Amino acid sequence: MWETPNRIGMKKGWWLGLLILLFLFASIGVSEFYLTVLCEALVMSLLALSFNLLFGYMGQLSFGQAAFYGLAGYTVAMLITKIHFNFWLSLMAGVLMASLIGLIIGYFCVRLRGIYFAVLTLAFGQLLFVIIYKWHDFTGGDDGIQGVFPPDFLKSPTHYYYFILFVFIASTYLLWRIVNSPFGQTLKSMRENSERTEFLGINIARYQLIAFVIAAGFAGLAGAIWVPFYRSVAPFYLMWIKSGEPVMAAILGGPNIFLGPVLGMFIMTFVHAWVLGFTYFWPVIMGSLILTIIFLLPGGILGFAQEKMKQRRESKLKGNPLRCS
Amino acid sequence: MFLRTEGITKDFGKLRAVNKVTLDIHNGDIHAIIGPNGAGKSTFFNLITGYHKATSGRVLFKGKEITHLPAYERCKLGITRSFQITSIYPKLTVYESVLMALLSHRKVTLNFFTPAKKFFKEEVWHILEDVGLTEQAYLTGDSISHGDKKRLELAITLGTEPELLLLDEPTCGMSAEETENTMTLIKKLSTERGLTILFTEHDMNVVFGIAKRISVLHQGTLIADGPPEEVRKSEEVQKVYLGGTA
Repeated sequence: MWETPNRIGMKKGWWLGLLILLFLFASIGVSEFYLTVLCEALVMSLLALSFNLLFGYMGQLSFGQAAFYGLAGYTVAMLITKIHFNFWLSLMAGVLMASLIGLIIGYFCVRLRGIYFAVLTLAFGQLLFVIIYKWHDFTGGDDGIQGVFPPDFLKSPTHYYYFILFVFIASTYLLWRIVNSPFGQTLKSMRENSERTEFLGINIARYQLIAFVIAAGFAGLAGAIWVPFYRSVAPFYLMWIKSGEPVMAAILGGPNIFLGPVLGMFIMTFVHAWVLGFTYFWPVIMGSLILTIIFLLPGGILGFAQEKMKQRRESKLKGNPLRCS
Repeated sequence: MFLRTEGITKDFGKLRAVNKVTLDIHNGDIHAIIGPNGAGKSTFFNLITGYHKATSGRVLFKGKEITHLPAYERCKLGITRSFQITSIYPKLTVYESVLMALLSHRKVTLNFFTPAKKFFKEEVWHILEDVGLTEQAYLTGDSISHGDKKRLELAITLGTEPELLLLDEPTCGMSAEETENTMTLIKKLSTERGLTILFTEHDMNVVFGIAKRISVLHQGTLIADGPPEEVRKSEEVQKVYLGGTA
């Protein structure tokens, strides 16, 4: 029997191993400033991956993903600062809170598709943002919450970096298994042709809801581990501008490739950190970057690279290696 | 009684698309629904598969009323369809598309961890061999020929291991050779897999070539129902449909 062909990535595992090795030794080679940037890039990449489960795989644009990120962050911050709750249990509570609210919001959103889905997620996200922003007595309002400390052994940035790296790798592995599982295949089929999929016996809304809750949970995990590292949380973590970051990361790196959003988020985070050194006009740089990608590399950076590799393979098969397009 | 519609009716506003159709479809039959454009064939199909909700009347499948079940529930009971305008997965491979149908039918779509491609290899290849798509297994749905797309859709429907298969114009847009192949395939599926097949078709050669039973719809009303010879002889059918020349 034939084997189904390997998609880009897993068989050529050597580069993945190399990458992980590089991350393991990163704390030695980089300054504390860039180690912080690296932590942020990893955490935001997890947010981007959670977003892309909905966007790249299920085909629905969520414009409120940061709400779950921020909500979990606030849950952790409040539990730790107000009642000195156990750190690990606080992280879990953050993820649970994000998933639970994801279930409620998702219940309404999965009834809609396309732009209506996007607008509704945006509206719910902004609603949560406004509640936290205005409810000064409970949430600290626009001051946010400061003094969110991790346990002593995680207080050094290097130690916390390894903690973030571990969570990132474990979550990425889980998400990789999910998108390749029968459930992931179902999401892709719904994206490709929801009518056909319904006539195969799939209750579309139910599967969309499950994916929505999973995505909310992982977004929550990202927020939960970020806040104790940054020692604080603020309302803008839930804002639509924050929700836009995973959207741009996915488009930049390539939403149709599993690690595309991660590459996109790394580029965004590092260019941001670097550009802020000499100008405040970060949005101009970011805007130009996005425009360049959309016009020159449709499908994102990794998407474009994969397309080129496929073309080269095909032209080799046809015995015409010089043919380029 | 395998499938029965009882006085099934569908109104779109003031237009009555299907008018009180009572019809029995017998187990193992190849049953054709014919009629001129706008006769209500597709709407009748949609009422059986749950794509449209009936205005009045009932649909019974193996004695169980399914009139109010949504499409995916009917599919679980064993009723699957193809569409008049081919409905496939453009960016999934032929293999993945058929696999998806099996994953759904065998209820493993809530598995979040095992790679999907580890499931049902034999079954997928068996279906691909049956419909003649093994060569195209790793091509995406949008990159294969029109005839192959129609066959892919058939392969996808077979993946749900149906008992009743509804085909909406299965040979639409096919060349004479492709049509011939499809007819042979439909006959083969009916005998080998014991499928009951209900289909609509414009090509009368196809209809009289493979149907064991034919029902004629005209302006939403059932005007004839029986074996091919009987329907061919029916005066009313000749008048409204075959133009008196058949």
